[in-house]
Amino acid sequence: MHTWMIRLRRQAPLSQLLMWIYAVLSVYPLLWMVFYSLKDNNEIFVTNPFGPPLSPRFENYSTAWHSFQVPVYFLNSVLVSAATVAGAIVLSVMFAYAAARMRWRFRETARMYMVVGLFIPVQVILLPLAVLMRDIHLANSLLSLIVPYIAFNLSFATLVFYGFFRTIPFELEESACMDGASIYRTFWSIMLPIVRPAIATMIIFVFLSAWNEFPLALILISKEELKTLPLGLLFFQGQFTTDWGAMGAVMTMASLPTVLLYVFFSEKVESALTVGSAVKG
Amino acid sequence: MIRKTGAILLIALLAFTAAACGGSGSTNGSNASPSAGSASPSGSESSAAASPSASASAEKVKLRIYAQYADEDTKLPYDYAVAELKKEMPNVELELDIQAQDDGQKLKTYAATGNLPDIYQAGLDIINTFKQSGNIQQLDEYADKFGFKDAMQPSAMNTLVTDDGHIYAFPYAGNEMILLYYNKELFEKFGVKVPTTFDEWKTAVETFKKNGIIPLSMFAKEKWPDVALYDVFASRLDPAGITKLDKGQAKASDPAYKTAAEKLAELVKAGLLAKGATNMNYDQAAALFYEGKAAMFLNGQWEIEASTKALGDKVAWMFYPGMDAAGYESSKLVFSGGGGPGGYAVNPKSEHVELAAQVAAFMSRKYAEFKYTERGTPIVATKVDKPIVKQYPPMMQELAKVIPDMKSTAFAWGLSNPKFKAAIEDASQSLLAGTSAEQFVKEVDKAIGQ
Amino acid sequence: MNKFLGNRAAVAVFILPALLLYSVIVFWPLLQTLYRSLFQWDGLNPGTFLFLDNYKELFQDELFRTSVYNGLIFAVIIAVFQIGVGTLLAFGVADAYVKGRKWLRISFFIPVVLSVTVVCQLWMAVYNGEYGLLNRLFQAFGMSYRQDWLSDPDKAIYAIAMVNAWHFMGYHFALLFAAVKSIPEHFLEAARIDGASKWKAHWLITVPLLRETYRFCLVLAVTGGLSAFAQMFIMTGGGPGTSTYTLTYLMYRSAFRINEFGYGSASAVVLVIECLIVTLLINRLVARDRIVY
Repeated sequence: MHTWMIRLRRQAPLSQLLMWIYAVLSVYPLLWMVFYSLKDNNEIFVTNPFGPPLSPRFENYSTAWHSFQVPVYFLNSVLVSAATVAGAIVLSVMFAYAAARMRWRFRETARMYMVVGLFIPVQVILLPLAVLMRDIHLANSLLSLIVPYIAFNLSFATLVFYGFFRTIPFELEESACMDGASIYRTFWSIMLPIVRPAIATMIIFVFLSAWNEFPLALILISKEELKTLPLGLLFFQGQFTTDWGAMGAVMTMASLPTVLLYVFFSEKVESALTVGSAVKG
Repeated sequence: MIRKTGAILLIALLAFTAAACGGSGSTNGSNASPSAGSASPSGSESSAAASPSASASAEKVKLRIYAQYADEDTKLPYDYAVAELKKEMPNVELELDIQAQDDGQKLKTYAATGNLPDIYQAGLDIINTFKQSGNIQQLDEYADKFGFKDAMQPSAMNTLVTDDGHIYAFPYAGNEMILLYYNKELFEKFGVKVPTTFDEWKTAVETFKKNGIIPLSMFAKEKWPDVALYDVFASRLDPAGITKLDKGQAKASDPAYKTAAEKLAELVKAGLLAKGATNMNYDQAAALFYEGKAAMFLNGQWEIEASTKALGDKVAWMFYPGMDAAGYESSKLVFSGGGGPGGYAVNPKSEHVELAAQVAAFMSRKYAEFKYTERGTPIVATKVDKPIVKQYPPMMQELAKVIPDMKSTAFAWGLSNPKFKAAIEDASQSLLAGTSAEQFVKEVDKAIGQ
Repeated sequence: MNKFLGNRAAVAVFILPALLLYSVIVFWPLLQTLYRSLFQWDGLNPGTFLFLDNYKELFQDELFRTSVYNGLIFAVIIAVFQIGVGTLLAFGVADAYVKGRKWLRISFFIPVVLSVTVVCQLWMAVYNGEYGLLNRLFQAFGMSYRQDWLSDPDKAIYAIAMVNAWHFMGYHFALLFAAVKSIPEHFLEAARIDGASKWKAHWLITVPLLRETYRFCLVLAVTGGLSAFAQMFIMTGGGPGTSTYTLTYLMYRSAFRINEFGYGSASAVVLVIECLIVTLLINRLVARDRIVY
């Protein structure tokens, strides 16, 4: 910590205040959701849409729990998301490394080709994709979600990793080459540790996208035992059109894991970030 | 995404039955069954029951069914039908795949990937698309064989047979209609006359508005009520209402339809609807009416039960106001609403087509039976010979009196031209959000032209 | 060295798995969409080959123009808000001398963690014309500025864009913050010695160094905006009327509501091309030389 920075930091009460206000605006929806889950319809819509519940209705949670296969959906979501994270990150780190550091023809073309995936809303290819999943016999298993989820996350993840790899000085590889290390070894023991912060960040991003994904799951999954949380939530919405509080309880139950996971993981990201900048600086 | 009781029927196309209603209207409690339906259904039912128990008691069959199972109005009848099925055909096990509110996206994808369930709920849109591609079983033969045709209410035959003369789905609901509900207490309190003409309606709107009461509550986020409201106006001027536009027999720029749009736009401008009405769901809109914050409410006749529960004898329905006093009288019995073919359909590629058809027919009838006996609605497709468990509310009894002479138009979901349907849905919602009548006419005519 | 980084076998090992999976799952269906856009096709029955007629019809369709226009509004609002606020907050947190630094960081990211459904439900409550928080705020400040945020054909698209902007700002914040943190501190220190103020130092030193990140954020925000769908699907259903349609929504409506899959595919193809052009433009305009510290 440099003294000049300390001085500057002390001088900014206004910007600090603004930041805290924005932080409150960001966190409030979480509170709102928890409040919501403890109210009845009248309070939700008319008398008290935004404040804390006047007389908390914890029974909303038991209603939700009993009519909603939380454990099954939850487990499926965990499996699908974890597998997606692993697959997408391994594949995209490898691709990004080759695209950012190695020398080969069509490198730029291949990269642009990958980027296109970023602009394809899933609705655009829903039907051909569903036909494809049937043809390769993946329909109605968790793989029918995992495989497309990995593929859909590749574009974004490669872009992020590509950006990171491009900021690393080439001298690192030069010296590794001179030491006689193979390219694989260089990738594994020198490059991967450097992009750790990016990996930590991407774990969160990919996990979230898989955890909250809905349109593909709706089309590809019909078996009850394979449903993920967002799907369960949808049908729950249908069943509880008259009981919005219970729906709030389900929303809370479906969201809190990601919040906790993020809060937990953000520590890792923080430390990974420091490691990253230490290597770079 | 989130829809309510009324919208649940969106897929189900309904038909009306004078006979059953006449019967129920004169019935007190549960001592009598409608005379029209007592003999034949029970006869056909037992014959239908005979064949499966003979043929299949040995082997267990699992059938996949894609059906609505969303709220009380769809869950309870379904559960009842399944329980009855278990008694009747114990060898059949149904695997329920709950229908998503997704404009048929999932069902169409099922069809495209050859993954259709054995039985599924189909509306006119699905029937038309699927029959060309061989994804829906023609049920003519089975309708006779399992006695379904005989069990139909004669007045509801339009929900069974499509334009090409064939049967593709077993309907359970009858021809339903849009009612304009109102809060009698509020009308009295502010000295407002129940309107019989558009001008009186406008006066009513202005009076309520002045007193801080929302004149008409609507869940206009769902687009069908928007179309229904336009149809209420259009059918005052042309008894066929929007069906004529749907079939390309009239244009929105024709005087009757244009005037209807102008009159509606005028009321909207006068403050007919609540702020943000086009973004309200059923619960929000209904809450306004139930709590006395809105004087009128627009929904199907299935709303009778819920409104009665919330407002007791304060609530009633009115005949739609007309162009003028003469127009009011002459079009009084024309109701917006109606029905078209739809119900439980069968996948022709199912391994058990005949069994699936039999189950579909059985389920439809039991579904209707439950709605008739337990859910306070006489408006079902098939005759019911069971006594009514739950007595009909007064508003339903009122309705039953006029049902025999009633003429109806069509619901948004009973329209046959999907392009027109999408266009009039979007245009009607725009109209309620304050767009001009000219714009409405232009948008709708563009879709008719094609 | 050339041989080291030009090792063909190694390149193949690194790129093929990703390339293959992506080609089969994402690109092949996209090609099919492209092919189907040349047909009149309802998604099930054999179609009729039209060649470019779908495109001709599309370019005359008023709804198409609305959709493109809405996509652009969406993209601009999102990009400006997310990148602008993200930058300010990233600088602020990087500099902040407070204990709650970590909590600020976590808070900014929280909305990203929530699903679109939850976020949209919240904002529908905020925007509600009768009971909404926003109108109540105006009331509390004594202003009679009550609005039908989501039911006004002219305002709804902006209201929805703000939801998306707010929802995913944390994404951009996280990316920018990581980039800011990775800039060695002596860079700013040098500026400080020259007597520049904190914000000026950032403007002169940090912002140019973040070019790569900005490029990425910009591509992300703009293409995300052009292809927006979920928010309008949940909050307005494309309405009132058709006032909040985007190209993806047009595709959805054509394919599933009116069974014109070919036509819907054409609008999807236009969307992908539009995004591609914008990305190329951004790559051109935002300098692309590699940053070496």
